[in-house]
Amino acid sequence: MVDQKEQDQNAGRIEGGIDAIVLGACADGLAAAAYLGGAGFRTILLEAGSEIGGEIRQRELAPGISCVDGDHLVTVLDPETIADLDLYRHGISYAARRMDTAYFFEDGQSLEVEGDLLNAAASIDEEIGGGVEFQTFTRDAMDMAAQLRSAFGVSVRKKSRQRVLGKAVDASPDIARRLNQYLLSAGDVILDDYLPDGTLKTAMLSEVAFRSGAAPHEPFSFMNLIRRWAGEVSGLQAATAYPKNGTVSVIDALRRAVQAAKVEIRAASPVSKILTERDEVAGVQLANGGQIRAPIVVAAMDARRVFLDMIGPDDIDIEFQRAISAQPLNISTAQLHLVLKGFARDDKTKEHMRRRIVYAPNSENLRRAFATARAGDIPTDLMIEAIFPNAMENDEGNDDRQLLSLMAHPLPFDLTADATRREAITAAILECVEKFAPNIEERIEISDLRLPIDLAENTGAHPAAFAARSGVLQQWALSDCAARAGQIEGLYFCGPEAQIGAGISCAAGRLAAKLAIHEAKRGAQAA
Amino acid sequence: MIFPAEDFHSDSPKPSPLFTAAASSSEANIWTSVNGWSVARAYTSLEKEYQAAKTNAVIADLGPLVRYALRGDAAAELLARLTTAPAANLGTGESARGLILDNAGNVVDLAEVSRLSDDLFLLTTPTPHARRLQLASRGFDVDVEDITGDVAALGVFGPDASEVLNAAGLKSHEETIASSAVVRGVEAAARPIQFGAIPGIEIIFPKDEALTIWERLIRRGQVGPIGLDAMEVLRLESGVPRSGVDFVSAARSRSGEARLPIEIGLPHLAPLDRGWFNGRRGLRQQADRSSRRLMSLYIDDDRALTGAEVRIGDKPAGRITSCAWSPATKRVVAFADILPPSSGKQSDISVLTTAGLPVRAKLAQTVENALALSFMSAQNAATESRG
Repeated sequence: MVDQKEQDQNAGRIEGGIDAIVLGACADGLAAAAYLGGAGFRTILLEAGSEIGGEIRQRELAPGISCVDGDHLVTVLDPETIADLDLYRHGISYAARRMDTAYFFEDGQSLEVEGDLLNAAASIDEEIGGGVEFQTFTRDAMDMAAQLRSAFGVSVRKKSRQRVLGKAVDASPDIARRLNQYLLSAGDVILDDYLPDGTLKTAMLSEVAFRSGAAPHEPFSFMNLIRRWAGEVSGLQAATAYPKNGTVSVIDALRRAVQAAKVEIRAASPVSKILTERDEVAGVQLANGGQIRAPIVVAAMDARRVFLDMIGPDDIDIEFQRAISAQPLNISTAQLHLVLKGFARDDKTKEHMRRRIVYAPNSENLRRAFATARAGDIPTDLMIEAIFPNAMENDEGNDDRQLLSLMAHPLPFDLTADATRREAITAAILECVEKFAPNIEERIEISDLRLPIDLAENTGAHPAAFAARSGVLQQWALSDCAARAGQIEGLYFCGPEAQIGAGISCAAGRLAAKLAIHEAKRGAQAA
Repeated sequence: MIFPAEDFHSDSPKPSPLFTAAASSSEANIWTSVNGWSVARAYTSLEKEYQAAKTNAVIADLGPLVRYALRGDAAAELLARLTTAPAANLGTGESARGLILDNAGNVVDLAEVSRLSDDLFLLTTPTPHARRLQLASRGFDVDVEDITGDVAALGVFGPDASEVLNAAGLKSHEETIASSAVVRGVEAAARPIQFGAIPGIEIIFPKDEALTIWERLIRRGQVGPIGLDAMEVLRLESGVPRSGVDFVSAARSRSGEARLPIEIGLPHLAPLDRGWFNGRRGLRQQADRSSRRLMSLYIDDDRALTGAEVRIGDKPAGRITSCAWSPATKRVVAFADILPPSSGKQSDISVLTTAGLPVRAKLAQTVENALALSFMSAQNAATESRG
């Protein structure tokens, strides 16, 4: 990795002989760089900050206690990228591959659902009944998710997505009917059809709503769940997994893949401008005044920064500018790290702590929460996803303290948040946590809230990059548009707007790099 | 600047700032609506107005055309983005024609840009584009104001236009440069414009003084007004397509209706080697799109109507989009949206009349297509010399 001192020495220099530049060392940027380097392209990966990983980064909360910002679980990690880049060899391994989920409800009830959803019927029957209905629901939804899996990748040509949907429609009249229903209907309407039991419906409703900008009672919202269940982790569809050493280990594996592909990583190298000449990309201008010339630039940063700041509105189409800047941004997810006093030592408690814990508000309260968050206020009922990272690692703890990582949704999307606002958000999250972990507040030693603006500050991105995105259909349209990169030849985009749904995926990076490689080879052949 | 299609469905068009003056001059009293404003279709008779425009001079109420004033350091950049007109290269007082394109390179509208001072521009378009301007101006330090209803705009066309203006005290120092003058205490700006092939001058002044200037021009300049019907004949003779009639704006088009600049015969208004403008990349990518052309035709029969089928050989090739009897050429002059004849044999073109009989037609030479042809030959020569 090239350091800051060397960067300063390069100020004002024009570098040539580079085949490709990747902007942003987030998961997608790393994946894209590894693909390009692996294809024999002389590639430079430029990262504005001093660390790689984008929003996924490890921090020390207290001496001996580290947390990981960004996603704390993986759900949609692209299997093709893992295989192509040989990420297992580069160090990805899982502490838990198919995590069970414990749902807690407002009325004090709880429900344990096996990580293997297709086999969860028996245990559900035992606990609350309705196992058969749940099995029908998960089978139908996961069938559809499998059918649509490739439609959730980035589609540079709209027709390829249409082809996937067309194929699903042609498969059978039943699938065509269900596809129509799943695409258009609200999550709670579909769940009403499948799950008469209120508890099961509430649990699944929270899964539909989690990290989505579309409330589960709104049209098109059900596809959020289908998108998540279309994802794979270590070959397991719809699984939720915890990588050893946390999600930061995915970044570490990608970094090793990048190094193996002989890509030069330059940290602390902010880019001020993407250079275009006669509608083709020509390289980048660095903030220190230097230039790197290359015929391929892959941008793995948020669309606003890439197209509005680095290219500028005077060089992109009005319709394109509108598409990338007109997303409704009013919902976000917050992450709260808690360092708790005390450490469970008995096996039974430890086993419980190795699950994914979800607090699921009822349908009415969830609906109210979305409305409140959209109005800019803090909802009283939030959906919470919680994990105990130390328990996942079988970490025995060395100073009798326990880390709890929480994701809370839906919260308002704030462009600024003062200490009072942060306190109010923390209090709202803790109030929900109290409902399934009574008296937890007494055990809190450190509480650390991460909002989209914090992630934006860490990465230098626009906070919009970390807002919850709207329904899948709108995301499809946005990703199609963003992936075309304003029709600038040689520019490829794999920022957050190119991805469908939340979570570490790398699919956008893979597709952008593969397209760049394909077009460069085709261009070379034509020449 | 050409008027867009009339909005026939408009129940109660608004009076333009010159309406009172225009109505007092109207003997025919035939009115229509353009962009929601009242416009006279004829003041006396089509023939009289047409002949006056050809031999003397006429005045026209151009109030229904849409006007935006853009002020700010980045106004030139914004206009260079929004339109294909070379706004940044205009000197003070200069005007340029251009097109507004969408991101795929299809034509949204015609546009005319005038630089009134260092940081003040006037954009004139046939139809409103407030939303588009608002979207385009994000990221630019520019104040955009729609001044359509706030100013009166009057066009003087014809060979004697300069004399008319001179007599009225509005003569500009240079005929190609916009200027300002005070006429009987009314501040007015005059800028050269083109109505198709006919050069003219547009005078813009506060709407409250509409009657003063109109009356002064009619009395001192000895000119009469011209209505939309006579202007339509002049337009067809010049070969300038009309939005909503000869082509559908890409902003309102359905699948297959959007047209590239070359398809409406205006490739010279969107040269790819000009600086960046909205839709240039789309246009470059679609450069090879082999498709329809809007072509000017002379038809030797006055029974050919709008919508009539155009044939090349014995195969249907398209339809007439607009037509009128041209007293100058003693033939019907028309625009037809057709697949261009690959063989180039003009004698093969025919149009079906209302009686269902084919009548001969041939490609017309107009001022606009002469410009397009010379632009295309220059482009081809440049390509060959590069090759």
